[in-house]
Order: sequence, then C-alpha cells, then structure tokens
Amino acid sequence: MFTTGTKFLIGASVVSLLATLIYGIGQDGVLGTVGLASATVGLIFLTSVNAILRDSNVFLDDEAPVESTAAAQPAPGASVWPLVFALGTVVVAVGLITYQPVVVIGLIALVVAGGEWAVQAWSERASSSGEHNAEVRSRVSNPLEYPVGGAVAVGIIIYSFSRVMLWLSKTNTVIAFGALAAVVVVVAFALARRPKLNAGAVGGGMAIGVVALVAAGAVTGADGERDIPEFETTSIWQEEAILHPEEYAEGAAEGHHPEGLICESPEAFPEADENASETVAIKSSIYEVVLNDSGTLDYDVPGVVGTSTAVMSLPRSNPTNVIFRNDSDEERRLSLDVGTMTVEIEHGEEVEEVEARNQICTTLIEPGGAQLLTFRVDEPTFAFDGQPNPNGPDDAEGFWFFVPGVDSAVLEVYVP
Amino acid sequence: MSAPNHDRTKRRDSDTATSVTAVISKISRGRAAKFTALAAAGALVAGCADNAPQDTFQPEGTNAQLIDDLARPVFYIAGLVGIIVMAVIAWVVFRYRDRGQPIPEQTHGKPALEIGLTILPALILIGVAIPSVGVIMDLNETDDTECVVNVTGQQWWWEFDYPVQDGCVDGGITEPIVTSGQMVIPADTNVLIRGTSRDVIHSFWIPALNGKRDMVPGRVHNLRMQANEPGIYAGQCAEFCGLSHANMRMEVAALTDDGFAAWVDNQLEDYTPPEEGSLAAEGEAAFVANCARCHQVDGLEDADGVPQVARPDEQVYSGAAPNLTNLMTRNTFAGATFDLLRDECRDAVWEAPSDEFTDRYLEGVTDDCFAEVDLREWLRDAPAMRPMYADPEELEPTDGLYRGMPYLALSEDQIDQLLAYLLERK
Ligand code: HEC
Ligand SMILES: [Cu+2]
Repeated sequence: MFTTGTKFLIGASVVSLLATLIYGIGQDGVLGTVGLASATVGLIFLTSVNAILRDSNVFLDDEAPVESTAAAQPAPGASVWPLVFALGTVVVAVGLITYQPVVVIGLIALVVAGGEWAVQAWSERASSSGEHNAEVRSRVSNPLEYPVGGAVAVGIIIYSFSRVMLWLSKTNTVIAFGALAAVVVVVAFALARRPKLNAGAVGGGMAIGVVALVAAGAVTGADGERDIPEFETTSIWQEEAILHPEEYAEGAAEGHHPEGLICESPEAFPEADENASETVAIKSSIYEVVLNDSGTLDYDVPGVVGTSTAVMSLPRSNPTNVIFRNDSDEERRLSLDVGTMTVEIEHGEEVEEVEARNQICTTLIEPGGAQLLTFRVDEPTFAFDGQPNPNGPDDAEGFWFFVPGVDSAVLEVYVP
Repeated sequence: MSAPNHDRTKRRDSDTATSVTAVISKISRGRAAKFTALAAAGALVAGCADNAPQDTFQPEGTNAQLIDDLARPVFYIAGLVGIIVMAVIAWVVFRYRDRGQPIPEQTHGKPALEIGLTILPALILIGVAIPSVGVIMDLNETDDTECVVNVTGQQWWWEFDYPVQDGCVDGGITEPIVTSGQMVIPADTNVLIRGTSRDVIHSFWIPALNGKRDMVPGRVHNLRMQANEPGIYAGQCAEFCGLSHANMRMEVAALTDDGFAAWVDNQLEDYTPPEEGSLAAEGEAAFVANCARCHQVDGLEDADGVPQVARPDEQVYSGAAPNLTNLMTRNTFAGATFDLLRDECRDAVWEAPSDEFTDRYLEGVTDDCFAEVDLREWLRDAPAMRPMYADPEELEPTDGLYRGMPYLALSEDQIDQLLAYLLERK
C-alpha cells in the first residue's frame, strides 16, 4: 500500500515525464529537454526509494511483529569511511585537473576507505551482537591497520623532523636537536621515576608534541630548505674558462680570479681552492703521486715494492684513483693533461667547435697535504701521436702529469 | 601397529599418534635410503674426477699451497669432530630408543659438562684461528712482488693489462700490453694482480693458484698469483654478475722465463698489415668498417693511413671491448668460453708436460689447428652464442650502450675475410 508521500511523488514523476515529452517534441531546445529529463529521472529515483523504504514502515494497525521490521533493527554505528570515500572521489577529480600526485593521494584514500567500509559493512552483518561484530571487524582490519598506520605516522614524524632540520641553519640544527634530545632524556627520566603519572596527561603532552612537530614540519617545509652552497670545483673553473672565454676574461680583468686555465695556474682560485668540498673518499690501493722538495714528481703503488718506473701506465676507460701528496714547501696543485678534446661553444644560435686541452687537477694543496684525484681516460695515448703537449717537458708528445709553477715536475702517463 | 600400553602414550590419542608415525616412517625409510645412496654415489663420483682443472684440492702454486695446508688439517679435524658427533647421536638414538620403558628422572643442568663443552670447541676454534690469521696475512703480502698485472673484469670477460714496469721479465716491460681471456705470467714468479671492475662486481678465481677475490668497481684489490710450474690453470668468475656469469671464465698460462720474454716481445711487435690483394687484406678493410669502433688493433690504419682508435666507451656499457691485436696468441675467446684450437691441438697444449708447455702455448693458433667453427658463429651472431644484452631495441637502461657484442649482420663473404684477417693477428 502506498503512503501519501509516495503517491505524491508518483504523480510528480508522471507530470514531469509528460512535460518532458511535450516540451521535447514541441520546442526544439536541447537544454530544456535535458533539464526536464533529469528532473524526471530524479523524481522516479526518489519515488522508488520512497516506495521501497518508507512504505515498508510499520503502520499502527499492522500485525507484523515489531522486531522483524527494518525500523526495529539497531542502526549501524557511525562510520567515517563513507565520508573519506567521498572525499577521495573529490580529491581524485581535483587531481585529474591539477597534479598527478593529488590523484595518487585520492586513490589511496579511495582504496583505504573502500576497504575499511567493506569490512565494516560485512562485520555489521556478522551477527546480531554489536560487540561481537566490532571484534570481528578488528580481527580482520587491525593486522593491516596497525603496521600501516604506524609506518605512516612514523614516516610523517621523520619527514617533519627532516624539514625542520633542513630549514634551520647548520649550527642551529645541531643546537635545536641537541636541546630536544636533552628534553627527551629528561622527560624519560621523569617518567621512569614516577611511573604512576596520569596516563592521560602524559598522552596529551605527547600528542601536543607530535602535533607541534608536524606543524613545524609543514611550516618549514613550505618555507623551503636553507641555502646549501655548492662549492666550486676545479673542473667548474676549467670548464668555465673553455666554454665562456669572454666572460671568463672579463672576470679575470676585474680581479675575480686569476687569468688562464685553473689547471695550468700556480695561483689560488679562492672559490675552488679554499672552499672546495672537504670530503676525500678513501679508496683502496690507489696510486700515489708525490711532489718532492727537489721539484720532481714520483709515483708509487702503495704497498707494492719495486714497481715505480719512469712512465706510469694506466688502463683505458677505467676510473683511476691517484692521491697527490705535496712534499714541497709551497702550495701546489697536480694537473693531468691527456691531449685535446673538442668542445661546443654556443654563441646564441650558432655552435662553434673548439679544440681545448683535456685537463683535470686538484686544488692547491698546502705543503705536506694530500688530495685524491679520480679520473678516467677514454682515449689512448697513441691517438695523439705527433701532437706536442704544451705541458710536457719541451712540448713532448703524450699525456703528462704536471705541477703548474714547477717546470721540472712532470711525469709521463701512458694509456694503451 | 598396536599402541604400547604404558604411562607416556596413554596421555595422548594413541591410535592416531602411532598410525601417523607409522606412515611417516614408511615414507621416509624408502626415500631416505634412495637419497642417501644417491648422495653417496654423487660424492663418490665427484671425488673420482682426475681431470678436474678447478679442483681446490690440487694446489699448483705457493699461495694455493698455503690455503691447502691450512684447509686440509682443518677439514680433517672438522670431519673427525663431525663423525664423533654423529656417532654419539646415533648411539644415543639407538641405546635409548623407545622400548616402552618409563621416562627416566629429568634433571636440569650439569655445569661441569656444560663448561667443558664450551671450552673444548673454543680451544679448537682458537687452534684454527691462529694459523688462519697467519695465512690471511701471508696471502696479503705485496712486498715480494716481482711482476704487476692490472686485471679488470667486465660483463663477461677479463682484461689483462701489463703496465710499464721494471719487473716481470729481464729488462722489464717497456710499453703496456693489453690482452684478454688468458693471463700469461712467468712461472715461479710472484705476480701481483691489481684488480678492479668496469661495471658490476666480479670475482677472480683460479682455484689451483689462489683463493678468489672480488673485483669491485672504483676499488683496486690485490691478489697474489704464483704458479710453480709452466702450465695452464683454469678459473671462472665467482661472483654473480648478470646474464653470462656462467660463461665468464679465464685462464692463467704460466710460461718459463724465456718463454714469457718471447711472449712479451711478440705482444709488442709492430703491426704487420696483410699482404696486398689477399683475402686477409679484404678482411682488414671489413674490420675497419665493422669492428674497429669497438675493438682496438694496435697499429691498424685505414686505407688513408689514419690510425684506428677504438672508442668502446661510446658503444659498450663497461667502456671496453677485447683488444684483438694478438687474438691468435691466446687459444680461447669470449670470456675463455670458446676454443680457438681444434680438440686435438687443445689437448696437446692443455695436457702438455710442464717442460713442453711453454713451446706449445707460444705456437698460438696455427692454420692447421684453428677451430674456426665457433669464431665463425660468433661473427655471424654473437648474442646467439651466449646470453648478452645486445638487442638494440632493449638498450634503454644503458642509454643505448651494449653489454656484450651485438649482432652485426655480416655477410658470409665478409666473415670469410674477417676470419682470414683475424688468423694473422698473432
Ligand atoms: C659494439 C661493439 C662491438 C663491435 C662493433 C664488435 N665487437 Fe667484438 N666484442 C665486443 C665485446 C663487448 C666483446 C666481449 C664480449 C664477451 O666476451 O662477452 C667482443 C668480443 C669479441 C671477440 C672475442 C675476443 C676475446 O678475446 O675474447 C672477438 C674475436 C670479436 N669480438 C670480434 C669482432 C669482430 C671481428 C668484429 C667486427 C666484425 C666485432 N667483434 C665487432 C664488442 C664489439
Ligand atoms: Cu663476472
């Protein structure tokens, strides 16, 4: 039997359907027809819902047992998952027109909410006991919820930490987190001394701490990292001189740096020579090239006796580690000249091909100091047969280690 | 089977318990017997191989001897301990088997026994450790080096490069020598390998001469090599390194001092171009056109007299391809996987008595002995011979660089020419 409401909706649906037909045939406006058709569909939907749901309500004069009606069933508990699911849908939609990561976040929300919702819906039908149903739900979901939730929480905390650390200056990071660590220790001691402290208060305090940390992470993360200076290297200066000769010469004229290629210069290039990255990778069994105080270069294979010769031969296309030790009493750099290379210099649209020396060098090393030079030579020595090397003794052919400013310090390198 | 009627079994469901044990023992008795028999037979057969060139128990040099002298006693002692333990277990299992007797009184702990059984193994381990540390130290000595060889592993072959040095041979090595697959050393000489890798970690292992050592990109690891007698010693890469790891072998050929000097002289000889108009001369042109971009042949020039500089770094992921200047002085190729010698010629070299080995090895690959089938096949389609990453369509991860030698679509005529040319590279 239809209730009054249902009857009203049936009527409205019929009127709407008729109106759609008449309007659609009579006028040929598409928009209006679409509007009316939509209204019709909506009304039919509402009618059905009402007919099925409301009409199953119990009437006072009904004889059916009250417990078996839908209205008498305990309502399912409030659930957040449909909400999250809906949010996820919106996020996906927003992501589709903005950024891909947003889609991913939306999809994750959809999968998580969908899964949880499904498990919850299923568990609510497990039995008539609400308590039992909740337990069933936990048993299925918790093994996933706890580890994943924990990992996400820890991830967020770590990420927040890292944002704060990268935002603070190098020194302040040390101070701030030193202090934080101290606080953690003190609190831990306090808790250990007084185990009966109010659990709520402790939990609250911790929650505030976490929220503060995440908030700080969000703020500092949005503000960006501190400036991490990229130190100039000798290679950068070498390249600069070859690729932008005019600007480079200008800089030299204005006194920003000495003239000429850094690898051929005995002078200090403050940026590259003094602020160079301080890390030296220690690799095993390197070659050692020593500048003696008599002004000659010698090489040695550490640990291997009796293998030093006039020529140092190195495998081709293989990274080689050479440690340069300056035993002279002046600041010196070790440079290696392995023939020429062709570089392309851009002049606006035009590209000019220029032959340049293929060189690599250490920074200026103080007396007694050492530095590692790692390089790889891809062309053999014989590829430059007949081409004098301006850095070899008397322009000799071949590849040479040399020390700018010390003419006698040369060592031939042979690459087969 | 009826359940024995006493205390212990009463407590459980005796019927199912015994029937399950019965089934298990029925299965395992049959299987275990077969398995034991098979394992024993396998062990026996493996032990019988007299022609096992990679047998770690046949040391042929001082370093391997050091290891053997250490490992053997340890093996015997460990074996003895193993046998004693097994025997005691077997005796206990038999002596105290379930005959339906009541469970004896259970006690906890026996300090004297426990302490004794802790101290005894500790003493044994200390006894093993002291000589072990000594041998490890000895195997890492480098100050008695008489000859240095740079060894570089790459997928899937080894390069041997002899740096300029005073050692190795009277008068020293005056120009670097680059070869691959077979490392030639003077016998009875302390050679030091300075090993590294151009791509992934490999491990250099000649069981008859020394233990294995990992060759790691960016690092140089030393490994001593010494062979008491002239001869050829096989080995293989011992660290999984990709598709053709199983096909990455190497050999050490130890020659007499004179033989080694002759080998060095030959390696450093100037390039001899093929006779004009010969098949080999056509092969030279084909080589310049198809191979010289990867493979170095020292002294090779094109028709206009331009020296050919191979740039494998632009073609191959590791940055290297074997130097073919003296290909036919070695007798295997492509990671020492395939023979360049016919079977009877190969046997003549490999099984030569040590006083004849040097001469036979130095003959290299003669026209009569050349087993061209494998090399021909290699030039036809190298990736078909052994797995390599050489399909141009699938080189995205390496930016278009090959790992291994690619298929080159050569005609049979070109291959004939190339074989004639390569046969003269010695
Ligand atoms: C794209 C580079 C490339 C080209 C071109 C090339 N090869 Fe190779 N070749 C290799 C590489 C890499 C290896 C090592 C493969 C291995 O052992 O796994 C090799 C191995 C070989 C070997 C075995 C050498 C040894 O000592 O083990 C021979 C012989 C050879 N190539 C001949 C040729 C010839 C002849 C041509 C010209 C028709 C040619 N190759 C063209 C890259 C190339
Ligand atoms: Cu390998």
